[in-house]
Amino acid sequence: MKRLSLILFLSLISLGIFAQDDLMNLVNQSTPKEINYTTATFKSTRIMNGHSIERMPHGQLDVRISHRFGTLNSGGYNFFGLDQSNIHLGLEYGITNWLMVGVGRSEFEKTFDGFAKFSILRQSTGAKNMPVSVSVLTSVALKTLKFTDQTRTNYFTSRLAYVGQILVARKINEAFSVQLTPSYVHRNLVATELDPNDIFALGAGARVKLTKRVSLNGEYYYIANPKTYLSQQVYNPLSVGFDIETGGHVFQLFFTNSLGMTEKQFIGGTTGQWKKGDIHFGFNISRVFTLVKHQKPANY
Amino acid sequence: MKRILISLSAIAIFSLIFVSCYYDNEEALYPALNNTCDTTNVTYSGTIVPILNNSCLTCHSKASTGGSILLNTYDEVVASAPRLTGSIKQLSGYSPMPKNGGKLKSCSIAQWDIWVRKGMLND
Repeated sequence: MKRLSLILFLSLISLGIFAQDDLMNLVNQSTPKEINYTTATFKSTRIMNGHSIERMPHGQLDVRISHRFGTLNSGGYNFFGLDQSNIHLGLEYGITNWLMVGVGRSEFEKTFDGFAKFSILRQSTGAKNMPVSVSVLTSVALKTLKFTDQTRTNYFTSRLAYVGQILVARKINEAFSVQLTPSYVHRNLVATELDPNDIFALGAGARVKLTKRVSLNGEYYYIANPKTYLSQQVYNPLSVGFDIETGGHVFQLFFTNSLGMTEKQFIGGTTGQWKKGDIHFGFNISRVFTLVKHQKPANY
Repeated sequence: MKRILISLSAIAIFSLIFVSCYYDNEEALYPALNNTCDTTNVTYSGTIVPILNNSCLTCHSKASTGGSILLNTYDEVVASAPRLTGSIKQLSGYSPMPKNGGKLKSCSIAQWDIWVRKGMLND
C-alpha cells in the first residue's frame, strides 16, 4: 500500500493532469483480478418438483420431506385434497463442492430413487467470465409396487427408469434467475406398444425474489413426445409457488398438477390438468446439517 | 488426482446401472397373457377382488388416503360401484382412477362391466 501510494504520488508529480489513464492502468496491474462466482441462483436444490442448479457443498447433508396433497377439485368433503397425502423423503449430501448425491423414497408407486448431480460450469464474472451455470443430473428410479400380474415372469429390470438432465441456469440479477432443463427419461417397461420408452422434455424454471426471505417460483416441463398415444393421458407439469427461508430451513409451498415428486414420475406421469382443477397443494421442507466443518465458508 | 478418481468411480457406478437398459412393453413382452381375457368366469372373489387389491386398495383401504371411498368389503364396493365405473373408464365428470398410476387394463375394465351387468353378485 505504501509502495502504491508512493508510485501514485510520483506519477502525479511527473505526469500531472494527463496521467489519468496511466494511473488507472497501474492500479489495475497491482491488484490481481478475482473470479466472482455467482451464488444463490435458487434458494434450494429444487425449483419446485425438479432440480435446480443449486447443490449441497462438501460435507453438508440435506434432509428433505415433501408432500403432495389430493386435488383441489376433490371438494370440501375431502377438505380440497388435504385429507389425502403423498410423501417423499430424501437424504442428500455434498461429496465434493461439485458432486452431490442423494437417495429418496416416494409413497407414489413405492419408488426408491437415487441421483448424482455434477457441476460442470459456474456462472462468474471478473477474471473468468461465464454467462451461465451448467450441471448434469443422472438419476435412477426403482418402482417397488407389486406387479399387477404375479403369475407372469416379472423382471427386476422392468422396475427401473433412468433420467438424464442438463441444467443450464443464469442469475440475471439479484432478484431474477432462470433455468432451462433439457431432460431425457427412459422407462424399461411401458404398458403398450404405443407408449414411448424414451421421453424427451424441456423444462423451464424461474425465480423472482420478493423479499430477503421469500421468492416466487415457477416451473414448467414441455414433453416433446405426442401425449395422446399413451395408454394414459399425460399433461405437462406446471408448478407455481413460494420459497420461504427461515433460519436453517427452506419451505417451498406451491400448487402443481403433478402428484409425482421425482423426475421419472412428473415427466410423462402427470395425469392432472390445471384447467380441470386437478391441482395439488404441495410443500418441500429442507433442513441442512453440516457434517464436515470448514475453516472458512466453502467456496461452492 | 482425487478429483479424477472420484469422477471416474462415479461414471463407473452410473454406467453399470445404465447397462440394464431395456425397451420393453407389456404387450410384446407378455403376448400370451394379453390375448387371453377371461370374460366367462367373472366372479367377485376370483376376478374383482384381485383387481381391487392390485390397483385400488393401496389408497382406498382407509379413509385418510382414500378420499372417503372405501373398497375393503363387498358392501363397500357395491355402494361405490356406479362411481367406480365412471372413474376406471376415466369418463368426463368422474375423478379418473387409478390416480397417476395409468388406466386399468382394458381386460380388467371389461371384466368389471361383466360383473356389474350380471348383477354384482357376491360370488
